[in-house]
Amino acid sequence: MAEIRLNNVCKRWGKVSGVDNFDLHIKDEEFLVLLGPSGCGKSTTMRMIAGLEDVSSGEIWLGDRMVNKLEPKDRDVSMVFQSYGLYPNMTVYENIRFPIKVRKVPKELHHEQVMKAAEMVDLVDFLHRKPAELSGGQRQRVALGRAIVRKPTVFLMDEPLSNLDAKLRVSTRAEIKNLQFRLKTTTIYVTHDQIEAMTLADRVVVMNLGRIQQIATPTEIYDNPANTFVAGFIGNPAMNLIKGTIESGVFSAENIRIEGLPSQHSGPITLGFRAEDAELKEVQNAINAPVYAMELLGDSSMIALMVGGELINIKAPKDFRAEIGSQVSIGINPSHCHLFDAESGDRLSQDI
Amino acid sequence: MEQTTVNRRPLLLSTTSSLFLVLWLIVAAFPFLWTVWGSFKVEADFFSRENWQLAITGLNTIGQTGSAFTGDGYQGAWIERDFWKAAWNTVIVTVSVTAISLVLGTLGGYALARSARRYTLWILITALVFRAMPHITLVSGYMLPFFEWNVWGALPTAIIVLVAINQPFALWMLHSFFLSIPKDLDESAMVDGCTRFQAFRQVVIPVMWPGVITTGLFSFLLAYNDFAVTAMLLNQDNQTMVPKIASFLGTVQTEGAVMYAVAAVVSATVPLFMLVMFFQRQIVSGLTAGAVKG
Repeated sequence: MAEIRLNNVCKRWGKVSGVDNFDLHIKDEEFLVLLGPSGCGKSTTMRMIAGLEDVSSGEIWLGDRMVNKLEPKDRDVSMVFQSYGLYPNMTVYENIRFPIKVRKVPKELHHEQVMKAAEMVDLVDFLHRKPAELSGGQRQRVALGRAIVRKPTVFLMDEPLSNLDAKLRVSTRAEIKNLQFRLKTTTIYVTHDQIEAMTLADRVVVMNLGRIQQIATPTEIYDNPANTFVAGFIGNPAMNLIKGTIESGVFSAENIRIEGLPSQHSGPITLGFRAEDAELKEVQNAINAPVYAMELLGDSSMIALMVGGELINIKAPKDFRAEIGSQVSIGINPSHCHLFDAESGDRLSQDI
Repeated sequence: MEQTTVNRRPLLLSTTSSLFLVLWLIVAAFPFLWTVWGSFKVEADFFSRENWQLAITGLNTIGQTGSAFTGDGYQGAWIERDFWKAAWNTVIVTVSVTAISLVLGTLGGYALARSARRYTLWILITALVFRAMPHITLVSGYMLPFFEWNVWGALPTAIIVLVAINQPFALWMLHSFFLSIPKDLDESAMVDGCTRFQAFRQVVIPVMWPGVITTGLFSFLLAYNDFAVTAMLLNQDNQTMVPKIASFLGTVQTEGAVMYAVAAVVSATVPLFMLVMFFQRQIVSGLTAGAVKG
């Protein structure tokens, strides 16, 4: 149990940069999620913390130890792999026991510790089986059991749910959350699934192209994305982003005109708003566009419109129906709009 | 009516395929069965120029020994001509070659399979080139230095050369087996508290057994069947079975010496049968790789 500090950590392969200047302080007992599309460097970051990947520059501190040069076994971390990494020739019992066996924990403590871990992950009935005789969810729990059988400083989880089917994913997600709450071990969790990130995390680190885009709580990331990448990555559907121009607080592009934006900025700009923040009514701040497509989702209807050359989504009540091609008017409250720099994509502060 | 035609066709097919299989089995197994049969006869029967049926009836065998079958060939080869010594030498050579090849091959194959460096490919390509060369090319180059250093004729010399010939193959084979084992396995072992070597020995090798056994068997066969190296590099006392059999075949002056060769051939073949049958399951699972995955 300890806090983790990553000071300007970089990973380069020759000229290719995998992780660029990663600077982060993870608090004790925190559940931190690294979120990003594939190839964004999130797994590499985790592997550097585990010691499976060398650090090109920067420092990694686990508690009060600088671990850059330590072997994985000396870092006191445990890790759950995407493919579970179970030992196929050993039974579930031996799999869970392996970490304490190789770490030379006194033999008489083994049975008690294995049973305790097996109980926590609900595997007591399967201890004599080989991994090949288990379902995907059970294998995942063996990997979890093996991770918790000793008390490591940090749990590392590398996309542990992505090999499970959708239903199992939801229940295992809850199990992981509950387990971490009970064990109170600092946890770093890598995923490309934003729902996992939103549901599990105390804090989320959104990454893209090896760089940190935003570090914040799930709510903060959803409500105040730091740039267009985060806005476009988080949420289902993602935030609508429209390129246009702003002039004395009035944003305009093809089929859209929004007045009263609290910004002194003028020139090209990107405007963002969430699908559920739009209302179907005729007002001045409005989108007027023909319906491009309608999607019925059950609890709501999704209207797709072509605005400013981009396809945007509007969430409408579930009984709303419209023909493709018919005109609709959508009102948007200016306080629900987000303004981003047209060039860099960074968020523009509203109050200037 | 229809039903009979439905039934008849598979019957015809199965009869034909059974017949073909039997025929093929006879063609394939005949030389060996013929040799086994003949090894219990005398030279006048088995190498008769007048009448090949003598080999079956064994008239001369009965005339010379009083029985239709005789163990004279075996006794002559094993006891009088010291074939037991050649057998023992073969055991030393094959076991050493297999053991050394597997130790170097597993370590090297694992290192090459897990290394991300680009030169691993070139090491493997170089190994392939040496694998493709005829064995005799290596031997002729070794002859002079071995005479100079006065190590020619000794068993360790032949073992080293055989290992050198076999190593590229063992390396390739084990390398591809290691590639089929997910990297996550060693990585989770390392996070769980193993050093790289402990992960290799406690986690990877147990999963690798079919691959190790298959490679070991092929290494064993190479050393066991080798003629070029053992015939050129071993002196009379240290000869292994295959060159010894060749020397039996070469001696035609004494009546019956050829039969020593026949008996020795059969003696040399039997252990192979037992070996393959004993390791049958591992070999099959090793050859159909992918069985390695958990």
